[in-house]
Amino acid sequence: MGTTNTLSYKFLSILIFTIFVSSSMNAQTLTKKQQDSAFLLHPGQERMRKIKKSLAKTFVNFTGNEVSLYGALALSKQNIDDNGITAPINYLYNNLNSNSFNTGFNGGFRIDGIYKEKHRYALSLAVNRISAGTYYKNIHNLPPFIDDFTHFKADNVFTTLSIAAHYKKLLPVNDMNKYKFYAVIGPSFDYKISSISEENLINGAGNRAFINLDLGTEFDNKGYYILFAHYKLGNYISSSTVPVQLNRFEIGMSIKTKDLF
Amino acid sequence: MKTLYTILIAAISLTMLSCNKETSTTQTNVMNNLLTNKNWYLDYSIIEATNSTTPVVVKSYVGQSTYFITYLKNGETKDSDGITGTYTVELINGQSQIHKQLKTSNGNPFEVIYNIISVGESNMVLSKLVSGPATKLYFTTK
Repeated sequence: MGTTNTLSYKFLSILIFTIFVSSSMNAQTLTKKQQDSAFLLHPGQERMRKIKKSLAKTFVNFTGNEVSLYGALALSKQNIDDNGITAPINYLYNNLNSNSFNTGFNGGFRIDGIYKEKHRYALSLAVNRISAGTYYKNIHNLPPFIDDFTHFKADNVFTTLSIAAHYKKLLPVNDMNKYKFYAVIGPSFDYKISSISEENLINGAGNRAFINLDLGTEFDNKGYYILFAHYKLGNYISSSTVPVQLNRFEIGMSIKTKDLF
Repeated sequence: MKTLYTILIAAISLTMLSCNKETSTTQTNVMNNLLTNKNWYLDYSIIEATNSTTPVVVKSYVGQSTYFITYLKNGETKDSDGITGTYTVELINGQSQIHKQLKTSNGNPFEVIYNIISVGESNMVLSKLVSGPATKLYFTTK
């Protein structure tokens, strides 16, 4: 039994060694097709090289870029003005109006860097699962029997894809060589990628794109991680019969990808 | 390179502007969803006199045990008086209406049109289109 095992191990070792040697020989000698290809023009590769060169030239002043992954909890509430709805529909106000912040989450990546060695910035791309509390600004009634209703039922759970560009101002707090505190401001843009309900589309109310103003603070712990708290105030980017104001608080953490992988 | 940037900007703009569009059936679909597969009990009917500057309002309590009507998802309707038929929710010149093609228990066909004043998950107000004073019907679900 022991002799059989030893023989099979030897055979396996020889086989692996043979495969390794043959593959390395293949790597050294190019096939006829590969040799021909080396002399040919590759428009795709050439285009990519040009794009990279052009980007490097364009973004020459953007230095020290660090890519991080981040995740955050998001507390959201939307304020809804349904005065533009003409459809004769009623939803009982107390059933829909929570007037509270509900919890969602988001995750994505961000690039932190310095522009012209002076201005710190962060660019981010994220997927947001928003669960929003709702506050309906208008209460309607139909006397004598129907009290307190709203004409509109907003989607309160949806998913967006967002991009943000933040300017970071280093705050003179504590020992700035170790811990860095930043004030953050900048715009962000959200696009709903989840489906919109028919209730939300009625009378031209539906809208997918939000533009936000972001304000916040960030704490950088010696470059190991960043803790951040952001407030986002968003509005529909184009006009709607039902203007919605989306308020969000995000609390999260980002870690550099080179420390993770 | 310019072309690439132009295409990129155009793609982003299109994505930003493209939305789920409201169609001609969105409103009627939503109203249908609110209307169907429930028993609507008639609580009150109100007759408003139209030949006076200060309309006389006659409110009459009907009571839920007196009359109810059901609108089914398949477009059929039946009521507690044994009247059956079909119905459609329509939007005509901005006015939402329920058009009913009905048959009495004797088999005589007739059509009734109601204006939808308001419809919700648990209450509905209809106005019957007849000559003379308008009759408003107040329904609730149990």
